[in-house]
Amino acid sequence: MSEQKEPLLRVVGLKQYFPIHAGFFNREVGYIRAVDDVSFDVYPGETLGIVGESGCGKSTTVRSLSQLYKPTAGEIWFQGKDLCKANEKDLLLARKDMQMIFQDPYASLDPRMTVRSIIGEPLHIYNNRGMLDHKWTESEIEQRVEDLMERCGLNKMFKNRYPHEFSGGQRQRIGIARALALNPQIILADEPVSALDVSIQAQILNLLGDLQQELGLTYIFIAHDLAVIQHISTRVMVMYLGAAMETADALELYANPLHPYTQALLSAAPIPDPKVERQRQRIILTGDVPSPDKEYQGCRFYDRCPKKMEFCKNHIPSFHEVKPGHRVNCWLFDPDLQKKQVEN
Amino acid sequence: MFFKKKNQKAVNEFNQVVEGNSLTKDAWKRLRKNKMAVIGMVVVIFYALIALSASILPIYRYDEIILDHQNLPPSLTKTAGELMMKNRLQSVYFDAWKAGELKVTEEESRQINEWIQKNESTKVWNWMYAEGERQREAGTFTFNKSAQRIYDRLVKKINTDLLVSVTKAWYVADSGKRVNLQKMSADELARIYADMLGMDKQVVADATDKEVETALVNDLKAKNPDMSDEDANASVAMEMESRGDKAIERMKKTNLYGKIILQGTKSLKKSLEAKAAEGSIKFPFNETTQVNDHLILKVKATKMHERRYLLGTDYVGRDMLSRVIYGGQVSISIGLVGAITSVLIGILVGSLAGYLGGKIDYVLMRFVDIMYGLPYMLLVIICMAIFGRNIMNLFIALAMVSWLTIARMVRGQIMSLKNSEFVEAARSMGASTARIIVRHMIPNSLSVIIVYTTLRVPSFIMQESFLSFLGLGVSAPFTSWGSLVGDAVDAMTLYPWRLLFPAAVMTVFLFAMNFFGDGLRDAFDPQSKNQQ
Repeated sequence: MSEQKEPLLRVVGLKQYFPIHAGFFNREVGYIRAVDDVSFDVYPGETLGIVGESGCGKSTTVRSLSQLYKPTAGEIWFQGKDLCKANEKDLLLARKDMQMIFQDPYASLDPRMTVRSIIGEPLHIYNNRGMLDHKWTESEIEQRVEDLMERCGLNKMFKNRYPHEFSGGQRQRIGIARALALNPQIILADEPVSALDVSIQAQILNLLGDLQQELGLTYIFIAHDLAVIQHISTRVMVMYLGAAMETADALELYANPLHPYTQALLSAAPIPDPKVERQRQRIILTGDVPSPDKEYQGCRFYDRCPKKMEFCKNHIPSFHEVKPGHRVNCWLFDPDLQKKQVEN
Repeated sequence: MFFKKKNQKAVNEFNQVVEGNSLTKDAWKRLRKNKMAVIGMVVVIFYALIALSASILPIYRYDEIILDHQNLPPSLTKTAGELMMKNRLQSVYFDAWKAGELKVTEEESRQINEWIQKNESTKVWNWMYAEGERQREAGTFTFNKSAQRIYDRLVKKINTDLLVSVTKAWYVADSGKRVNLQKMSADELARIYADMLGMDKQVVADATDKEVETALVNDLKAKNPDMSDEDANASVAMEMESRGDKAIERMKKTNLYGKIILQGTKSLKKSLEAKAAEGSIKFPFNETTQVNDHLILKVKATKMHERRYLLGTDYVGRDMLSRVIYGGQVSISIGLVGAITSVLIGILVGSLAGYLGGKIDYVLMRFVDIMYGLPYMLLVIICMAIFGRNIMNLFIALAMVSWLTIARMVRGQIMSLKNSEFVEAARSMGASTARIIVRHMIPNSLSVIIVYTTLRVPSFIMQESFLSFLGLGVSAPFTSWGSLVGDAVDAMTLYPWRLLFPAAVMTVFLFAMNFFGDGLRDAFDPQSKNQQ
């Protein structure tokens, strides 16, 4: 279990609200609560998979982590500093060790840049700011770019080509090479394989796995494909409507999902064996995902929960550990439930 | 470093080392492949070189007015004198035909009358000249007395009219020592001038003082149009003081030097013309001669009517070739400077507004809206009226109002690019705002900017000519393509070359500019499929 280790990244009560403007004077009339009070730890060398349906705040969480959006509230502890309150320079230093891989390999590469300028860009930026170990020369950067291309499975003779000359998988490799350029400790992968077809997905996942083993990387890996998450993650966090529902080790979670939402989610995943597939019991959730613009007095899964209780409606559940390393955000598993019900 | 360093160079399938490349290098490579763009670029560079080197090219001065040479047609072989002769003779023949002295057949006469009725004067003149020459050659027609006098006078004029210019002058002292006239003091110059005229030195000196004073008064009045004569006279002393003794001394020197040279040239010209009539000297005459006991001049003399005008002359006898070249200086620089400044301002404002957004965007765009609301010609005219009419102000006035559209376009482009993932990626890598704008936003909006800029160049040239037409652009003797065309339109049928050449030169430039711009746009777009 990784609990004994010191976390590499610790997120406490992260909130990311986007204001809704309306009316003639553009007043703020409410908020989209994209991420509402999410806390988790990431330990060195592990892969934290974040899974959930569309619009549940996975990507927003990751973007808040890398400070692409300024979080509304919460703390992000990385390298002994709270990134939410860090100054420009600390933030830059943190970003050097925290790089992102983006979802769309077509949009995340500048069409007017050659591959070598794309991969070399982080190096140039940090070199110009004097934040690398020493002042790198052009040829050193060039060499590094070539190494990265080879490492990520790209022929280095293609370094003068433009992104549109590559296939989707190759582009994602370029994106990975760019993320690796600064030797980061943690990589935030925002659905890196969801835009690729399945055979390429496997290649990219294996590449990421190899890189992790070789370089000792830590990943925060977003996907909505449960199989992908199962393949790559050591721990999994399930999100629903901006909040974390369940965190557990990957094996534990897939073997023993506790939260009703997790159970429903896992039951929706097809099983590549026709016999088993026919036996599969699907838990069908009724209703749609509610809009994230209202504040919840109780469990946010209440409307669709197959195991809901009257008590859940007006009481916000707390995150508590059921087994070591397995935490659930549900009243069903709260040991104090009886007591609290009596109190009310 | 995590990776093992391998010091192998990147090689392609032919084992050639692949050198690093960038968008600009690539763009240059692609531009070179595009034939039309290269031709356009060469033409633009050629024009620029010609315009820049106008002052050292072997062409006549663009502002030299020779009234005898009005509206001469372009000719590769004939001199100005021959063309003048033709012009004169064709009217002599015409008069002779009217008086019945030049005999033509019935049919030809009818044809001529028909031409006259149709207002086809060029045909009449040409036919008249050809027929007259033929008959004179054959001996069937001779000049009458007055025509012969006109003819003789013209021949003499063509043979003797000289253009004399002094390049250097020396004063010979009684001791025989030569002194450069330009290095002498005003006092000495006054003495020399007085000697030449046989007057008292004091009178000359006083006259000079007065002339300098008058020049100063005129200068003052030109600067402050409201100033009355008395005020101006009163403030002359102050003006003299503020300019300093040296400047006043210099003014006197220039004044006296000019007078001495004029006096010297006058007598020299007479003797040279006499010699030219005899045919005893050769032209171009380029010698140092002693004018009188005390004055030696280095003189350059050419026969005025031996000039050749490749592109003809305009309505006061100025060489069209040099006017087209000097006009090009103005037009090309208006076009390029205007376009470049408007693009620079437009990109700066547009990208700031687009990228930063919020209040800055709001303020900048409302400013642009207000500027749009004002009629821009009015702005330019007011600007020119306030800051004065010179070419620099014309640039500023045009650039001031021309960046609006481009700012809006760039803003739109940048707003759409701002949320694209590669910009987000750059931000997550710690790129600064300036870097994102310069490295990502602008290269990605270049195609729009380039197309718009190349479209702007002709419109700047046109606007300049419109302003010149209103009397607010460049003023005589300076010129521009636009004003040359404007001047020529009045007499289009009679003297078509005055319209044709500036228009053709301008058209070729604009064509070249457009091809070049198109090529640039394709070159900067790696995904362009527009290449051969």
